[in-house]
Amino acid sequence: MTVVSAFLVPDSPLPLLKPEVPGWGRLNSAMQSAGRALAASKPDTVLVYSTQWMAVLDQQWLTRRRSHGVHVDHNWYEFGDLPYDIHADTELAYACVAESPRHGVHARGVNYEGFPIDTGTIVACSLLGIGGTELPVVVASNNLYHNAETTETLGALAVACAEELDKRVAVVAVGGLSGSIFRTEIDPGTDHIANGDDDKWNQRILQLIESGDVGQLRRLIPEFAKEARVDMGFKHFHWILGALNGRFSGARVHGYGPAYGTGAAVVEFVL
Amino acid sequence: MNQGEIVAGFLAPHPPHLVYGENPPQNEPRSQGGWEALRWAYERARDHLEAMQPDVLLIHTPHWITSVGHHFLGVPHLSGKSVDPIFPNLFRYDFSLEVDVELAEACCEEGRKAGLVTKMMRNPNFRVDYGTITSLHMMRPQWDIPVVVISANNSPYYLNTKEGLTEMDTLGKATRAAIRKTGRRAVMLASNTLSHWHFHEEPTIPEDMSKEHPQTMAGYQWDMRMIELMRKGKMQEVFSLLPQFIDEAFAEVKSGAFTWMHAAMQYPEIGAELFGYGTVIGTGNAVMEWNLRQAGLSMLGAPGESLTAGAGGAQRNNLDDSRRSV
Repeated sequence: MTVVSAFLVPDSPLPLLKPEVPGWGRLNSAMQSAGRALAASKPDTVLVYSTQWMAVLDQQWLTRRRSHGVHVDHNWYEFGDLPYDIHADTELAYACVAESPRHGVHARGVNYEGFPIDTGTIVACSLLGIGGTELPVVVASNNLYHNAETTETLGALAVACAEELDKRVAVVAVGGLSGSIFRTEIDPGTDHIANGDDDKWNQRILQLIESGDVGQLRRLIPEFAKEARVDMGFKHFHWILGALNGRFSGARVHGYGPAYGTGAAVVEFVL
Repeated sequence: MNQGEIVAGFLAPHPPHLVYGENPPQNEPRSQGGWEALRWAYERARDHLEAMQPDVLLIHTPHWITSVGHHFLGVPHLSGKSVDPIFPNLFRYDFSLEVDVELAEACCEEGRKAGLVTKMMRNPNFRVDYGTITSLHMMRPQWDIPVVVISANNSPYYLNTKEGLTEMDTLGKATRAAIRKTGRRAVMLASNTLSHWHFHEEPTIPEDMSKEHPQTMAGYQWDMRMIELMRKGKMQEVFSLLPQFIDEAFAEVKSGAFTWMHAAMQYPEIGAELFGYGTVIGTGNAVMEWNLRQAGLSMLGAPGESLTAGAGGAQRNNLDDSRRSV
């Protein structure tokens, strides 16, 4: 079996930067719990798609063997720095670059010193414990003009490339649920999903994911994306669907909560 | 303390291709040139800026996006390597800039008093966005004038164009008040492209100008229409058309810099000088100047203002306030 585990995790840096805030700390713990499950599945590589790595030209894949430095989030800089040291599976990443055009997707590798690794990827690597030398990653960008179908294609082709190279992979989609955010400063201790409707939508979608009802999810996601202002239209979920060939039998929600009003969930899919 | 002055405002777009085409020592990639019409336009803008001898450049950038309020760089010195996340093959630039923290703090405070959410960015490890660096390099490659850098609150996108640009109008007026109170001689930079429809694939040789053209005819025609109005000083008409321009040309002025700058300048009905226009991966870019000093509109007075308003100033003061809140 090529895909050994799959996860949906939030892109907000708040759980990493401020775990002492109870709600954010619970998300931090949930991501660490998911990280342990990921490690237990014993993958060779982790396929990561992050909504915050935004591209507008081509599909970008991280092909730099080691990316390291200190990142400062453009919104939450006052909560501290985000050091990172991320190792990529360049063999698989280059295979994805080569394979993409065969699916109609113009692609390129990104291998530059100082390239700004996005907040979501750094958060996922830090809290899931991935991206080290023992568990390298392949990171795919979010081309803003790609739709759900193209994103599924990317997930599928990455898995196909891994299969060709006889690698076991975990799949991680980095992104949020509802996107309504508090637009004035709040006391972090009072953080909650910005409105009740968003909360209902998030929970409804999470229940469908837990039940593995992909058909109903496909029907509802466009409405969910619109009504709950979902991060990037929930394209990151389609990365998972593509990688899993459109099927999973259920899921375990390790955590769900707010990130400055937006919805954040840590989900482990049952394959 | 000196009397505050806004000498001029420039439309200063930020395609990193222009830095790449110029081959300055700060940028690692090397090119065979390209986009000369825009780069030569910036050369003329640089000459004008040199003659103005400002104390400070204030810039509003669409590539430092913030969701909780309007943020201001608040660290005296920032340096590092800026690698463009979209065009890392073209822009890997060693930057070093000085921030006019006193003026930034004054802008932050005036904005807060005007009802905006504002915040000072104090983290010394902060990476300045490539849009800011590109516009600043193209205007002043010597990097010897302190700057005030303002984030783009995402309100025009998160809320809607009208509400978002109303905030930018407020931010512009607050910026004007801060310049006046600190007595700075200021030049303002709106770091914005015009029409923003663009290619989705990069030419094999990025600087191959045989591949460069407007992405859409409609975008080009909109740009020409708006530039012509700006050249004639019909800014009231420009701002009345702005929402339609934004919708139909996907114009980047939606992010607010253009409105912020003109609000700070009190929407002068003066003709802009066009230094040049050109496309970059299909987007429309114009380098333009509104010279308030030449028009006798640059000096800032006490609240109520209008110290040296000439004919343009009289015209300015008759503007309908509703237009100012596009």
